[in-house]
Amino acid sequence: MEKQPKILVIEDDKFLNKLYSDQLRREGFEVSMAISGDEGLSKVLNENPDLVILDIVLPHKNGFDILSEMKLHAHTKNIPVLIVTNLGQDADIKTGLELGAVGYLVKTDFSITKLGEEVRKYLVMKQKKFSHNEAAD
Amino acid sequence: MRRRKIKKQIIRHDIRSEVTSVIAHQLKTPLVGIKSSLEVIVSGQLGEVLPTQKEYLRIALDEVERMVALVRDLLDAARIDQKELELKRQPTDLVKLVKEAIDNNMTFAKATNTEVSFAFDGKIPLVSADTAKIQQAINNIVDNAIRYEQRRGKVVIRLKMAGQKIIFSCQDNGIGIPNTEAKKIFSKFYRGRKAIELVPTGSGLGLYIARAIIEQSGGKVWFTSKPGQGSTFYFFLPVQLKNRNNR
Repeated sequence: MEKQPKILVIEDDKFLNKLYSDQLRREGFEVSMAISGDEGLSKVLNENPDLVILDIVLPHKNGFDILSEMKLHAHTKNIPVLIVTNLGQDADIKTGLELGAVGYLVKTDFSITKLGEEVRKYLVMKQKKFSHNEAAD
Repeated sequence: MRRRKIKKQIIRHDIRSEVTSVIAHQLKTPLVGIKSSLEVIVSGQLGEVLPTQKEYLRIALDEVERMVALVRDLLDAARIDQKELELKRQPTDLVKLVKEAIDNNMTFAKATNTEVSFAFDGKIPLVSADTAKIQQAINNIVDNAIRYEQRRGKVVIRLKMAGQKIIFSCQDNGIGIPNTEAKKIFSKFYRGRKAIELVPTGSGLGLYIARAIIEQSGGKVWFTSKPGQGSTFYFFLPVQLKNRNNR
């Protein structure tokens, strides 16, 4: 059986974390969960997920800090990060994208039933980028 | 003495805006939880949902979405007060936005027996504005025109070019606005006496936000009205100078 992509959900609201994780599991993904910034960063570094769903307002370490630290490590810097947050101001979106997030979803503005589709879109983009880089090498 | 009083009022106003902002942010997370749970159940992913159950779940979902919109309005109002409303300007097609606003309100218009029509003269050039925010402003104006109708409603939306400006108008045959209320109609949380009688629920934020968006985009909003006969709300936005001919 083919190995399913592993998604790490970093979200401090335990109900939302369960909702997002259950949704992704129903769509066939393997899911790991973290409910604080510290736990999230530790899991990113140790579990090597295929994609990270990242909230911004988190206890201990915020999402922007996690994103910045991920870019410092060779084995985590290319992991796609999809920000899912309630901060919908342009300045926040700009900061997230400048720090290297591949996408930005505002929680109130998207339907959870589209979450799997969004994740698959970024996994395909990562795969294409990877194949392109390999061909270039 | 007067200066101290004004300073006190400003501080109180700032605190109120900040409190509104904090409350609105705190409301968002539980609302997302309720909205997402309902979306998953309605989608049938957790098992078959009977049509009667689906009908009630959809009502709950619509109500949650109404609350999400209210929270967004409260946050926008707080940002306007704190002069922090951000607008992302881009070439914006008003014809498209008006058509979308009519589509968004079509179910509501049918339910209230209101006929909505749209006319525009020739080519309407693009304006430089925040598309989503102008959409919100147009939506608020059109929603009001339909909401405050009496009996069989008729709403006529027009766009026309006048010099370097695009003028939007939305005419209704609704309850109208008495002269005594004219000055307050764009104030935050203000709702007219007749409006409250007709529609008890309503935040009084729609026109306040619409005016701020239009004015911050370099335009102006105003209205004319005859009580009992209807109102026409207008706004203008300057034509985008660089790409005037790219439609």
